[in-house]
Amino acid sequence: MRPRTPFRNGIDAQELLFGLFLVALSGVAFWQTSRLAAGTAADMGPGFVPRVIAWTILGFGAFFVLRAGILPRRALPAISLRPLVAVLGAVATFALVLPALGLVAASLAAILIGGAAAPGGRLLGTLLFAAVLTALTVLLFVTALSLPVAIWPW
Amino acid sequence: MNRRTLLLSAAFGLAFSLAGGLVPGLQGRAEAQNFERPVRLIVPFAPGGTSDILARLIGPKLSEAIGQPVVIENKPGAGGNIGADLVAKAPKDGHTLLLVDVGNLATSPSLFSSLTYDVQKDLAPVSMVMFAPYVMAVHPSVPAKNFQELAAYGKANPGKLAVGNAGVGAVNHITGILVGKGAGIEWKAIPYKGGAAATRAVVAGESNVIINGATATQSFITNGQLQGIAVTGDKRMASLPDLPTFKELGLPAADAGTWQGVLTTAGTPPAMVERLNKEIHKILAAPDMQQKIQDQGGEVRVNTPAEFTRWMDESIAFWGGAIRDAGIKVE
Amino acid sequence: MELLGNLAFGLATAMQPSNLMFCFTGALIGTLVGVLPGLGPMTTVALLLPFTFGLTPEAALIMLAGIFYGAQYGGSTTAILVNMPGETSSVVTCLDGYQLARKGRAGPALAMAAIASFFAGTVATLVIALLSGPMAALALKFTAAEYFSLLIVGLIAAVVLAHGSAVKAVAMIVIGVLLGLVGIDVNSGVPRMTFGLPELADGIGFVPVVMGLFGLAEIASNLEKPQDRTLLTQKITGLMPTGRDLRQGFPAMLRGTVLGSLLGVLPGGGAALPPFAAYALEKRVARDPSRFGKGAIEGVAGPEAANNAGAQTSFIPMLTLGIPSNPLMALMIGALMIQGIQPGPQIMTEQPALFWGVVASMWTGNLMLLVINLPLIGLWVSMLKIPYRMLFPAIILFCCIGAYSVNNSVFDIWVMLGSALIGYFFIKVGVEPAPLVLGFVLGPMLEENFRRAMMIADGDLAVFVTRPISAALLAVAVALLVALVSPSLRRKREVAFAE
Repeated sequence: MRPRTPFRNGIDAQELLFGLFLVALSGVAFWQTSRLAAGTAADMGPGFVPRVIAWTILGFGAFFVLRAGILPRRALPAISLRPLVAVLGAVATFALVLPALGLVAASLAAILIGGAAAPGGRLLGTLLFAAVLTALTVLLFVTALSLPVAIWPW
Repeated sequence: MNRRTLLLSAAFGLAFSLAGGLVPGLQGRAEAQNFERPVRLIVPFAPGGTSDILARLIGPKLSEAIGQPVVIENKPGAGGNIGADLVAKAPKDGHTLLLVDVGNLATSPSLFSSLTYDVQKDLAPVSMVMFAPYVMAVHPSVPAKNFQELAAYGKANPGKLAVGNAGVGAVNHITGILVGKGAGIEWKAIPYKGGAAATRAVVAGESNVIINGATATQSFITNGQLQGIAVTGDKRMASLPDLPTFKELGLPAADAGTWQGVLTTAGTPPAMVERLNKEIHKILAAPDMQQKIQDQGGEVRVNTPAEFTRWMDESIAFWGGAIRDAGIKVE
Repeated sequence: MELLGNLAFGLATAMQPSNLMFCFTGALIGTLVGVLPGLGPMTTVALLLPFTFGLTPEAALIMLAGIFYGAQYGGSTTAILVNMPGETSSVVTCLDGYQLARKGRAGPALAMAAIASFFAGTVATLVIALLSGPMAALALKFTAAEYFSLLIVGLIAAVVLAHGSAVKAVAMIVIGVLLGLVGIDVNSGVPRMTFGLPELADGIGFVPVVMGLFGLAEIASNLEKPQDRTLLTQKITGLMPTGRDLRQGFPAMLRGTVLGSLLGVLPGGGAALPPFAAYALEKRVARDPSRFGKGAIEGVAGPEAANNAGAQTSFIPMLTLGIPSNPLMALMIGALMIQGIQPGPQIMTEQPALFWGVVASMWTGNLMLLVINLPLIGLWVSMLKIPYRMLFPAIILFCCIGAYSVNNSVFDIWVMLGSALIGYFFIKVGVEPAPLVLGFVLGPMLEENFRRAMMIADGDLAVFVTRPISAALLAVAVALLVALVSPSLRRKREVAFAE
């Protein structure tokens, strides 16, 4: 087998990003477990396993970062921000609006914001769809299943 | 807890319910404190547990009594503290209630240094609801038929006995420590995720001593999979009459067990708390409710808000001391 | 033949017209609610529990069992149609079921799931009737040491799940373990990696994590391809399984049923292990393992059978010992106690009509499920023809409500959001999230049981090999590891030679 020089062929972006993610994750784990007692393998403290896991994750991270240099160049698949932002935005809005203004407002907001993930569609149709879906949601979850949640802000 | 005051308050509740039904004037006065919107009854545990069952038994009757829907909400998390926090910070109008294992609640201030609410200042006790005693039992592999033999075995074999409990800082964990210390037994405390898991482990012989609710334990004693040793509470259990009480044996934590009660937000008008207290007493005085609570392995215990407040203060001091002595700190 | 007599007695109870009706109603409502994303069996049963309060104990438990089976099947339906798992088992169903659906074969996948469930349910009912005594005894043989060894086997089997790189699969398992460790440590009572948030004290919620990781991330990624009007990549071809599907699926069903019946009886690890183990097994014995993850019918039949068999045998510890093997069974015990019945070893002798009625109703419940769902398949499949731009906002909304409803907590919605972001990242960097889920569920149990075993044995590692069941399980683990490593070593060598 011919030895390959790292990073000569460019970088495998997928491997690199996954590796960096793991390194960052291990960092968070080390930070969060820094004050826990580790103990020994036979008499473990609460910090023992988390730290072993964090070290393992760091090891995997390093492995993938290095391998990213050895593997042939590969770009990340295209990322289109609009759907991602709309989906996450819909969820975040729902979480923020629900406790403050109730289920109806939260549902309408989530449907309209989430719906923006896909371009096109007429405004009136979208509004009508959101209204019908919200009504169904309230009937289903609150009326039929008595989910304990406020419907209206008042 | 004084037995006589309990009986008195139960009798008072019963008398009141009769009077309330017969004398319209009295009823009118009680309803001066009206409920204007649905009442939230928060159960800070997952559905299926004792608090949840009690809420589902009491909720509909309370709704009938106050003429407003009572919505039961399970808000589990952080050993009940998430739900308790919600009630502590609710509007001070008695429309948000907490049904909880109050013995457990009483350990919270000593276990968690970073509680987001003050158990004594932010919550107003309304009424105790139920008490279910603990049963101490051992796996048959332990050569002991009674507490004296258990203590002798434990002293002769330090570290051989392992007491399963429902989690670090759980009331039955601290009870185990207190009993061990009181009787001079060196036994290990083995924490599990909840009382049911601990019971399973002791029936399987993984740990060999259990101190846990009677409901979960007594059928194993009846059919010989566990050997009963003692019970908590101020009298022997009708279903396990051979087992002596902790008090008879001179053991500490003789009142430990599952205490369930209803609290509301501190700052609620006292008349409102009084009204809720009366309604709950009335509901629990009904024979079918008494029977249903017996089916949960407990008995109805009611008291006045003032008595309940004193009970909370005493319990917080008692368990707090035990937790400090044992060096348990969760946060 | 006393046992068969008992079963006949139970069937007589379960077949009473009123009980049959409760069973049917339960299974129907359970299916309809369980099909909503995020509403897994646990939430569904909790929400529907009040409907059973006015009934007799038998009717209540029969209806609850119906709801449970219905919800479970409803959950598989969502997993297959829109890649949205609501519980551990449907994570596995997603892997191949969703791929089948995209190829226009949602009908056969759903039908196979229903048939596998019914088959496993029938066998498991007989198992409970004949073997509940010995199986309860087996459950009691498992102590911390045995659980530790069993979990080791489970985690090693998890590596087989991935159809891509095994190294990445192991990395994902480890990430899952780390996430699973968040929360209060059972053995010391100390909170770990909670960032000081009380909402994390009991750990990260399973349902919001899998909904975000699988369902929402998939939606965000699907919407990047504007040409897809619906979820389908190919035309819908037939609603029922073909003869070939049945031939491939039947042995998988059989293996899944055996595996599920055995693993389901163990309190604790039970619910997560059967479907994962069945999937790993199917992939292992398949002539062409590369079909898995791309729409292999065995990948649906085996895990679904295992899951249903396991779900049913998990009733054994509850009915015979009064010990709940998972949170759902704890809820069932709560339901019994509301009816004034104390579950425990005495229930079989003191309440034979209840005990055998419930056992028999498991079978009728599964039958109802088949009766309800085979005709419904057409309806479910036609949902795939709904334009995606209408379908996905509804799914997002239901996910939010579903995540909220598990603990009535807004915090869980935020957990779902974070998981969706990470899930999207995983799609982009080309790693599969399924092994993460297994690490998430099993990892913390592994630590808990290891430390408990050490605590009880005073730090003596020998307990794991001196206890026979534990030793045998560890031997299986070693064998699995060898089997796993050797072919990949060989392949690597071949690749090296090819270069």
